[in-house]
Amino acid sequence: METLIQWGGGVWGGIGLAVLQIAAFLLVLLLGIAFLLWMDRKVLAAVMMRKGPNVVGPFGLLQSFADFLKFVLKEIVIPAGANKTVFLLAPILSTTLALVTWAVIPVAPGWVISDLNVGILYIFAISSLGVYGIIMGGWASNSKYPFLGGLRSAAQMVSYEVSIGFVIVTVLLLVGSMNLTDIVNAQAGGFWNWHAFLLTPEKLPLFPVMFAMFVIFFVSALAETNRPPFDLPEAESELVAGYQVEYSSTPFLLLFLGEQVAITLMCALATILFFGGWHAPFPVPIAADLPAWLTSLGSFAIFVVKVVFFFFIFALVRALVPRYRYDQLMRLGWKIFLPTSLVAVIVVSAYVVFLQPGMEA
Amino acid sequence: MPLIAFYILGAIVALSAVLVVAARNPVHSVLWLICAFFTSAGLLVLIGAEFLAMLLVVVYVGAVAVLFLFVVMMLDVDFVELKQGFQNYVVSGAAIALILFAEIGVIAASIGPGSNATMDPSPGADTNAEAIGAVLYTDYLLLFQLAGLILLIAMIGAIVLTLRGRPRAKRQNIAEQTGRKRKDAVELRDVRPGEGV
Amino acid sequence: MNLITDLQNSAPEAALAIIGLAAVLIGAIVGEGSRLLIRTIAVAALAGAAVLAAQQYGSGRLEAFGALYVATPFVAFAKIGLYALAAISLLVSGKSLKEAAVDRYEYPLLILFAALGGGVMLSANSLMTLYLGVETLSLPSYVLAAFRRDHVRSAEAGLKYFVLGALASGLLLYGCSLVYGFTGSASYDVIAEADLSIGLTFGMVLIIIGLAFKASAAPLHVWTPDVYAGAPTPVVTFFATAPKLAAVAVFANVMFSAFNGHETDWSPIIAIIAALSMIIGSLGALTQSSLKRLLAYSSIANVGFALIGLAAGVEVGASAILVYMAIYVVGTLGLFVGLLTIRKDGEPLDTIDDLNGLAKAKPLVAFGMTVLIFSVAGIPPAAGFWGKLAVFQAGLEADLLWLVLVGVVASVISLGYYLRVVWAMMVKPSDSTLDRSDWVEVAAVVGASVAVFPVLTITIQSLLDAAASATLG
Repeated sequence: METLIQWGGGVWGGIGLAVLQIAAFLLVLLLGIAFLLWMDRKVLAAVMMRKGPNVVGPFGLLQSFADFLKFVLKEIVIPAGANKTVFLLAPILSTTLALVTWAVIPVAPGWVISDLNVGILYIFAISSLGVYGIIMGGWASNSKYPFLGGLRSAAQMVSYEVSIGFVIVTVLLLVGSMNLTDIVNAQAGGFWNWHAFLLTPEKLPLFPVMFAMFVIFFVSALAETNRPPFDLPEAESELVAGYQVEYSSTPFLLLFLGEQVAITLMCALATILFFGGWHAPFPVPIAADLPAWLTSLGSFAIFVVKVVFFFFIFALVRALVPRYRYDQLMRLGWKIFLPTSLVAVIVVSAYVVFLQPGMEA
Repeated sequence: MPLIAFYILGAIVALSAVLVVAARNPVHSVLWLICAFFTSAGLLVLIGAEFLAMLLVVVYVGAVAVLFLFVVMMLDVDFVELKQGFQNYVVSGAAIALILFAEIGVIAASIGPGSNATMDPSPGADTNAEAIGAVLYTDYLLLFQLAGLILLIAMIGAIVLTLRGRPRAKRQNIAEQTGRKRKDAVELRDVRPGEGV
Repeated sequence: MNLITDLQNSAPEAALAIIGLAAVLIGAIVGEGSRLLIRTIAVAALAGAAVLAAQQYGSGRLEAFGALYVATPFVAFAKIGLYALAAISLLVSGKSLKEAAVDRYEYPLLILFAALGGGVMLSANSLMTLYLGVETLSLPSYVLAAFRRDHVRSAEAGLKYFVLGALASGLLLYGCSLVYGFTGSASYDVIAEADLSIGLTFGMVLIIIGLAFKASAAPLHVWTPDVYAGAPTPVVTFFATAPKLAAVAVFANVMFSAFNGHETDWSPIIAIIAALSMIIGSLGALTQSSLKRLLAYSSIANVGFALIGLAAGVEVGASAILVYMAIYVVGTLGLFVGLLTIRKDGEPLDTIDDLNGLAKAKPLVAFGMTVLIFSVAGIPPAAGFWGKLAVFQAGLEADLLWLVLVGVVASVISLGYYLRVVWAMMVKPSDSTLDRSDWVEVAAVVGASVAVFPVLTITIQSLLDAAASATLG
């Protein structure tokens, strides 16, 4: 009896701890995204020589919170011909899936909710489900523009997933593990060990390949998250707003939030796979008697800076690059990225098998 | 604890599998199918085969089912008509289903309860992925390559049956476009008023 | 075992796969301009594979890829026929492909891959290899049946073939999984050792159903007439010969090597399938007016005759199956090529009435086809008779008197429609003019007819010996 209680306590204790971790993680993430959104709009405004949001709070910093309140307080309008269940399920699904992916992202040494052995596959699997939110929303609206937008986005996301998959495979081959913490740790020591800039003597032959992979990953990430210049699913000049035409109020908020979370996730992924995760660009001497939480906090700060940097680039691209045509988008994905990344997989595996020291086949 | 999870997941799989067939709307059928795939992946995680679970999600939920959904959404399936056809075959269909169920029943009875087979999701290796990789490219190389060949054939077949070269279609020639010089495209003329070009 | 020896031991298939992949690349890069080149490559590759298979025939039992692949003389014999027939059917189809406007570079590639699949399933020594081989053969076949995609009946043939074939594949797979579950292995060697249990029986029956479908034996024959009638004639020339031989041989191979220990259990099932095929095939052909449908029913009946050899068991039946099928497919090849030659204004003709007066219009073709029909019908001087004799003898040795009697009755019935075709060609007057025939086609018809009579009749003993030695290993 006693052991039973103990066992139960252990399980419930574990679950309680996990819930607390998740809550803390989500709080930081969502707050962060609120400010990232503000940054997005500021960057866009700066490129257009406008001021951007500057009324709510100092420098308009609280703009996102004002928007949030506005969305939540409005009435939910469901079109008469819509398939109600699916219509409401779609935004919930897209936000949930986007958030769930963060479970395996290590933001600092040991700071990860679930250190999964197949972490990268998990991310790949869950983010490939993101398309359902869009395609279900587009279909359930029972209206032409959303449906077209949903179809476009499904085709687009499936296409770019393929090359993202191959890019991830090249990183996996180099590291020899699918665990994200291992991937980050393989890039320790300085920026010349980061996968985007492999400048150490023995890995120099891979530098052009992996840099190309980084570029492909970044562009595919733009396409995968339906960001400009690949925002054809919601192209406002053709499809009004694509799959989200019929959405309003909280469901729209959720769709929008899901999108932003996915974008931030892609930034984090680029950081982890190619930019050394939480490692500083130069070896930093750390005093041995420093408490662990302090070094972890430092690492976390480095990680956040990198993610913000990528988000800044995302915002810049949105402001600077004109939208692709649909056939150009498909050509880029299938005829350029896919063959290039396939060749890269072969080159990297050849390197790993024949050249990499300590990897005797 | 895993047992409870197993029964919950198993019930969801069974329920969604039934709903795939029972749902009136084909799109709902596909959505239930996706649910069934996803929960099956959960079952795989329970036995420790997390690599297979992820592959199931990536391949079936992330790619195959999306295309299913795509097709089903675009096809305008007439359900009244389908239901009529269904009635014609209900007797023979039920008979075949009964026979297959009876087979499963007989076989299950012949094994009897208490078969204590244990599962090892990663025999001879640390992780699931390593265990699969170690045999896939060595012992089962032939089968792996053959499966690839079959997919290639399917691709060729799909192209043969659907690709139609349209001789009058306008295509973009990027090299030509970017190779254009100013003198090929622009001509400067001094147009006087009242004379036209 | 390293990769090099594996590839050497599976040389015919390895060569076909590599050349086929190279040809796909050539076709994809060069485009439609490479049709002739790719067809030549494919014919050469198939002929080369036949030669390599002949080498396998001479070198006993070869294993590759961890015994997933095994080449015995029995399967090597069938593979020689498979590859040679595929090469010939591709060689003679040039003109009619152009006429039917389906001359595309994918056509020879699909034939090549289908033949490769046939070779793999013949050499399978594991249910997994068997299944993948069957699929590698089936997928190109579905596409080939629908190859004339703008033609309603061709598309219909493709769809029917695909839907029914997928069902049969599913049953085969279900059977394989049951057998695997109850024996603990997919390898033929292990399955052969296993005790018969109820699960194994169910699995075996399901595998028999799946293979019977692929061989188009009754009661799983219903797709055959529709597919033969709808698919383009050059494609049917291929279907009716190479895959047919491979399907019957693989049926025999699976039964003999994986389930040999349980012969008393499966032999009655096969005997019933054989009897049904012979009766349904012969009766069904009587009422047909379309030549392709007639030949489809004829092929069902002939598969039934070959299955007598299977029902008779490995000792007496194996060589009879090889001899019967070898002679039968040569005759069928000739007959279908004969059909290819009969065109009017570029459109292939298909009814028995279209043969009227062929003896006057194309005496060489008409005479050749008559000889071929005699052979397929099993009328004495032609080689077909010896084939039938071999399977009947095997049946008698295995105490299957009733089955042999059914066979004899079916043969007599079948004379009814065979002679109707001969009558149309030889006696009835013609009222239309036909297109000129391609010399390759005429040569093939004449060659096939010379082969069945007198060449094979004279050398029948050496064929019997070759088949007998193939089954000893």
